[in-house]
Parts: sequence; structure tokens; C-alpha cells
Amino acid sequence: MDNGMDNMLDMYLFETNSLLEQLDELLIEAEKNEEFTTDDVNEIFRAMHTIKGSSAMMEFNSLMTIAHRIEDLFFFVRENGIDSLNSTDKSELFNLTFKSTDVLRGEVEKLENNEPLSTNIDSITSEINSFLNKISGAGEPEEEAPAKEEAPELKAAAGSEAGQKLVESFGSKCPFFLQIFFEEGCGMENLRAFMLVNALHGTELEFEFYPEDVESNSATSEVIIDHGFFVGFHSEEDVNKAIAVVEEQGSIQTYEVIHVEKKPEAEKAKASDAPKAAAPVQGEPAKGTPAQNPGKEATGAQAQHAKQSLLSVNLSKLDALQAIVGEIVITESMVASSPELQGLKLDTFLKNTRQLRKLTDDLQDISMSLRMVSISGTFQKMNRIVRDMKKALNKDVRLTIIGEDTEIDKTIVDSISDPIMHIVRNSMDHGIETTKEERIAAGKDPQGELILSASHTGSEVIISISDDGQGMDTEKILAKAARNGLLTKPESEYSKKEILSLLMLPGFSTNEEVTEFSGRGVGMDVVKKNVESVGGTISITSELGQGSCTTLKIPLTMAIVDGMEIRVGKTIFTIPISNIRQSIKIARENVLHDAKGNEIVKIMDEFYPIIRLHEFYNIEPEVTSIEDGILIWVEAGDHSYCMFVDELLGERQIVVKPLPSYLNSFNIKDYGISGCTILGDGNISIILEVMNLYNAANV
Amino acid sequence: MSTEQMQNTNMDAQENGAPEADISMERYLTFRSDGTTMGVSTDYVIEILTDQMITEIPMVPNFIKGIINMRGQIVPIIDMRLKMGKFADTTESTCIIVLDIDSSCVGIQVDGVEQVLDIDKTQISPIPVEDQQGLVDGMISLSSQEVLLFLNCQELIRTY
Repeated sequence: MDNGMDNMLDMYLFETNSLLEQLDELLIEAEKNEEFTTDDVNEIFRAMHTIKGSSAMMEFNSLMTIAHRIEDLFFFVRENGIDSLNSTDKSELFNLTFKSTDVLRGEVEKLENNEPLSTNIDSITSEINSFLNKISGAGEPEEEAPAKEEAPELKAAAGSEAGQKLVESFGSKCPFFLQIFFEEGCGMENLRAFMLVNALHGTELEFEFYPEDVESNSATSEVIIDHGFFVGFHSEEDVNKAIAVVEEQGSIQTYEVIHVEKKPEAEKAKASDAPKAAAPVQGEPAKGTPAQNPGKEATGAQAQHAKQSLLSVNLSKLDALQAIVGEIVITESMVASSPELQGLKLDTFLKNTRQLRKLTDDLQDISMSLRMVSISGTFQKMNRIVRDMKKALNKDVRLTIIGEDTEIDKTIVDSISDPIMHIVRNSMDHGIETTKEERIAAGKDPQGELILSASHTGSEVIISISDDGQGMDTEKILAKAARNGLLTKPESEYSKKEILSLLMLPGFSTNEEVTEFSGRGVGMDVVKKNVESVGGTISITSELGQGSCTTLKIPLTMAIVDGMEIRVGKTIFTIPISNIRQSIKIARENVLHDAKGNEIVKIMDEFYPIIRLHEFYNIEPEVTSIEDGILIWVEAGDHSYCMFVDELLGERQIVVKPLPSYLNSFNIKDYGISGCTILGDGNISIILEVMNLYNAANV
Repeated sequence: MSTEQMQNTNMDAQENGAPEADISMERYLTFRSDGTTMGVSTDYVIEILTDQMITEIPMVPNFIKGIINMRGQIVPIIDMRLKMGKFADTTESTCIIVLDIDSSCVGIQVDGVEQVLDIDKTQISPIPVEDQQGLVDGMISLSSQEVLLFLNCQELIRTY
């Protein structure tokens, strides 16, 4: 973190993103129940208030304006109670809120990518405004007189009681006031106010303003700083027109619409009681810090109970920690196995190094666990996708999530989010039957089900996405693969498993039509690539008419693995232990040859190809005779084969280091070279990726 | 060039006033590769390494010698001779210059490092014949017999 601004931006992005995520979750949940609870409304209101405040502080105007509008909207909802809306309005409110959070997220993404923010956000703001006007209009007949007066307001009433009192003290007849605060420390507030007045004159609006002598009396600056500058209007339309003008003016920090209520004090007290959380917030926006601070406290206080023991840490710090721990692990083994110690009898030293090893192992475990995050965030996003697609495709589907508390390395979570999304989309689009009738005819529940589950098995996380849809037609798949020229052997020889794995070949998409959601022909092969890039595997099972299930097996972490060191010529390679099934010495006569003359070997009644690493990588070997070297039987995904190497050097824990990007640009990953590690003596060993090596050797 | 001359050059530079004062002046590290003298801006240079154990990497173009472990950082090494299309050879003074190009580290193996020169950038002339790889983007004559070619670091790591 170089400077304060970056730091602040980081914090801002983190905070806003987590708020938006919370909102999404909340909205999905609320929509499921077809109802906003009072808590929901308050929560949305608070979240928007915080976003508005921090965006204003960071001067991200588009974000601020949108958040402000939504805040206004939910203020109205909160004041009138969600029950004042009829069901159409409610669903419109849901859609509108989803849409606006999307726009907000879009803007935040732009910030993350260093792109300029959009300047034109009128469409969404006017949409919110018109909806607000609609529901406030609709709310009228149901409510009694006081509420009627309150209804068309944006966010006045209770919120700015202080402003109310001030406005009343002016003795003006205008029912609507704009309370405007200029940026802190901008100076000459009275003249700025006067400029604003001039600008408003240009619009032919009828208005009054307080303090009235801004042009001549510079002492009014103080008043404006403390209480704001008030402009009174006769109707709400005028207020809205004026807001447009006000927004164009520079140096304006916040503005607020105040509606002068002419109702008994008791009523007012009641109104101000309801939104306790926000009342003090808007009452004193002029105090020192901008308005977002009290807002943050309000949300902060709520969240504090749950999150007290949590701390957000920059990922780069964790990366650095991980790197250092990796170095310690290496150094520890370097010290313990120093050649100088050989032949010496060092009882205490051995005891102490054993203790040190135990401690470094613990340290490694802890540093690794720091990077573990729950997968629930990724799963929650799927909720949203299912919801959107449900609407768009007019299918009735429920999403069941199992094991969302499963933890996985942060970097891996980030890179499997897209694959999961793609699979979910596929299931929604192609898996679930198009109509209810089809499902009923097939004897299924009219509502489709999509199950997203995650679970741990020792060193792996298994994520499965299953649907109870129509399943995949293996014959169709085979026919299509044949049409696209993807088959490598006669159709009759394909097993079901093999047919389903055809789906993941590049250039395969079963849907004839390209839809908005899936079927662009860059489907499952990309998914497969992404999953494999984090060292995972993917497999599909499907029963025609019963549904399909896609399973991802992802390693818990990629940073530290158990590896077997092998030597070919002078080069040292490391193969992840998890890929190794067995190492075997075989006699020459056990080596068979297939039709093309490739070497194969029979192990446990199955035949496996032999890949000689020295031939494949063009390395000068020390041994070429199959008897002198050793075979390592490896397995990855669906492939199993034997590697012929000079010698096994032994097993050890290694810290995976990525190859320099310059080298990666030569596509050596495709040849099975996935990374490297630094050995105890400072030399480098190359880590082999068993699956890619197999694919490359068979091209 | 002897050590004495080298010091002279450096002292000259200092006597002529601080080089920073003149924006057109820039410091260059010069090195030899198969008889040619080349220069690279010292802005790129991180350090010079000798006697490094280079781990070969299969399946890469031949001019990539391999990777080294520089204090835990993996640095790829480019053999300048092979990169320039010459024969591979090592001398007694063969060493590796580690460069930071766009914040990624790359080492170049050269026949030997010579000196650091302050060079007026306005005096650098374009090369008369464009070499195919664009590895050299300028030249300057040092003496009547010797020319100094300037290495284009961006081109060096271009892989397409």
C-alpha cells in the first residue's frame, strides 16, 4: 500500500463491495418470501446511506447519486410501511432494487479497473424517481391526512428535525425547502449561496431563500456552515427542478429536501420515533465530518456484535506471509540436512531440529488457514443468477445450497467462481425442462431443483452442481461430436463417461441456438481450463430424463504440496504426490508396443502408455534402458499413464513458485511444466503437471 | 579499457557537473557479447551475477538458458549470444546482468561487463540497418574503432 489514497480506495471498495453483497443476499432472501421485513428495509436504507456517504467522501458522484435515490426510495417505504405497497409495486420494487444494485456494482467495477465512472446515470435515477412518485401517489388514498402530507416527500420529515425547526423559524409559507450544505472549508459560503440563487433565477422558478442577505452580509457564511442554506419552494415539481440546478453547482456537499409539516407535535414525535437509527444522522450533517460517519456507526454498531473478532487483511500481506513461511520451511530443511553435519552424533541438535520442524509445520498450517475463506460468497452469487434466469427463461427453479461454510483458499475461490457460474447457467438453460408441463409429464415436481453443494475430503474440496432436469442425451452428444469432427475413435467404442467428457472439448455446445446465457460455443472447455488452472478436475455424470451432475474437485491450496522428486539426466523434476499411484521397476520383456510402436505396460490387468520424460523433453538422459530407470505410475483426471525417469530422489514438501511470466508466454504450461520450487540446496526443481503432460504427449 | 580509464570516465562525468542536472544525459552499463559492445540504461539494471547455477527448462526457445534462483526469486535467463543469432560460447568473464523490465526480472547472459558511461542521449544516432529483431534501437561511436549499440529492453522480452 503506497499511499493514503490507495488505502482509502481499497477500504472504500472493500466496504462497498461487501455491502452490495449483503444487499444481494438480503434481496434474494426477501424475494423468496415475497416480502421486505422492516429489518430488511432498515438494512437496505442503512447500506445505501453508508454507500452514499463514503462515495460522497471519495467524490464518486454517480455512485453517490444512485445510492441517494435508493435511500430516498427506502426511506419512503420505511415511513409508510411495506404494507402500503400492493404486490405489483412490490415486485417492481424488487426489480428496481436489483437493477440499481447492479448499476452500483458496475460502477464499483469500473473503479476497480481504473476506468472513468459513468457520468450519465439519469436513466436509473429517473426510474427510481418515477417509481417513487408512483408509489407515493398510490399511497395517498390509503393513508390519513398527515401521512398524505408526508407521502410525496423524499427524505424529509423526521430525518431532519433540526432543519424543520429552522425552516419553521423563517416563517415562510413554502411547504418545501432545500437545505444545502457546501463543502467543508470551501470558503465564501455566502457568495456561493448567492451564485446558486442566481442560477435558480435563471430557471424561472418561484422560490425564497434564507438567510436572505447572503449577497451583502458575509457573516451569513457562518450561518450557512452551521445550519445550511435554505431555499423554499411551493411545490414538489419545483423542488425537483431545482435539485437539477443544485446538482450542477460546484462545491456542494449535500442537500436535503425538507417538507414543512403542519401537524400536531405528537404526530411528529411519532414519525421521528420510527427510524431511530437514522434520525440523529440526518439531523446533523453539518457537523465536522460529512454525513456518512454517523451512518457508518449505525451499521457498524449492528455488525459489531457478529463481527467483533474479525479483521480484514490485505491479501498481499497474506501472500507475503505465505512466502516467508515457505522460505522458513525450505531453510529449516536446509539446516537440518546440512552436509557438514553428516557423520556427527548430535543428540540435542536432532531433538531441537525435530521440535523446530514441528513448529514450522504448525506455522505453515496456520498461515495456510489464514487464507481460507468460506465458499458461501460464491454460492450466494449463484442465487442471484438463478433468480435472474428464472425470470428471463420463465422457469420455476429452486436453488438448494449445501455446505456453504466449506473453506477454500482465497485465490482458488476467486478463480472457480466463473466456472461454477457457467455450469449453473448451463443447468438452468439446458438442464431444467423448458415448461412445467414437461416436468409433470415426466412425473417430476413442477418446480425444478438445482443443488449446489460443497464438501471437504482431506486435501480436496468437492463442489457439485446437480439439477433434476432432462439430463443429457449421450447419442445426441456423440452425433454432434461426430459432426464437429471431435471423435478420435469409432462411435461404438465410446463409453458413457467418455461421451460426457466430449462436452468439455473446445468448440462443443449442445444447444443449437445461442442464448443470452449460455451456448456461445466457448462453454465447458473454458470451464475445464479454469478448473485445471487451479489444479482441479471436473467430471460430468448424467442420466437421461433424471438430471445431470457436474463435479469439481479442487485442491485446498496450491501453495504448498507434497511432491516426489525425480531426476532425468541433470534436471530435477517434482511430481505432486497426489498424482502418483505407484512407482515400479519392470523388466524389458514386460514392455509391450501398440500399433504405432508406442511403449505400453500392463499393470494389474490394465494397459498404460509409457512416456519417457527424456524423450519428451529432449533431455540428455543417464539411463535409457527401461530396467535401469524407474516407472512412475501417475494419474490425473481421467488419464493414467507411466513416466519413465532416471531415478527417484525422495519425497518432500515443496513450496510452489509460479514460473516467470516471460516463460509462461512460451506456453510451457501446455507441456506439463506448471511451476517450480527451490530445493534445500538452493537449486530449482521443475514441477510437472501430469494431465497437461499427457495431453501434450498425445498430440 | 583499463580500470584507470574507467575511473577517469566516471570522474570526468562528475567534474562536468552532476549528470542529473542535464536531462539528456543518461547512465548506461556497457557489456560485451560476441565482439559487440552494447549498452543498457542503468535504470533497468538490478545487479550483476557471476557463477550462477542455471536450471534448464525444457520446451522453450534455445536462447532461454533456463532459470536461476536469485534470493528466492525465480529469474529467467536469456543468452544474448543466442538471442542475437550468434553461437553459444562462454568466457571466463561470462556473467548475468539482471534487468527489471516493466517490473518483471529477466537476466541476460553476456560475455562480460565493461563500465558505466554517462551518455548524452541527443548524440545517439539511429541504426542505419534495421535488424530483424529490433533488439538494438540506437548507436553511438565511442572512439574511432568502437561503436556502442543500445539494447531495446522492451523488444528483448517481446515474445510474439
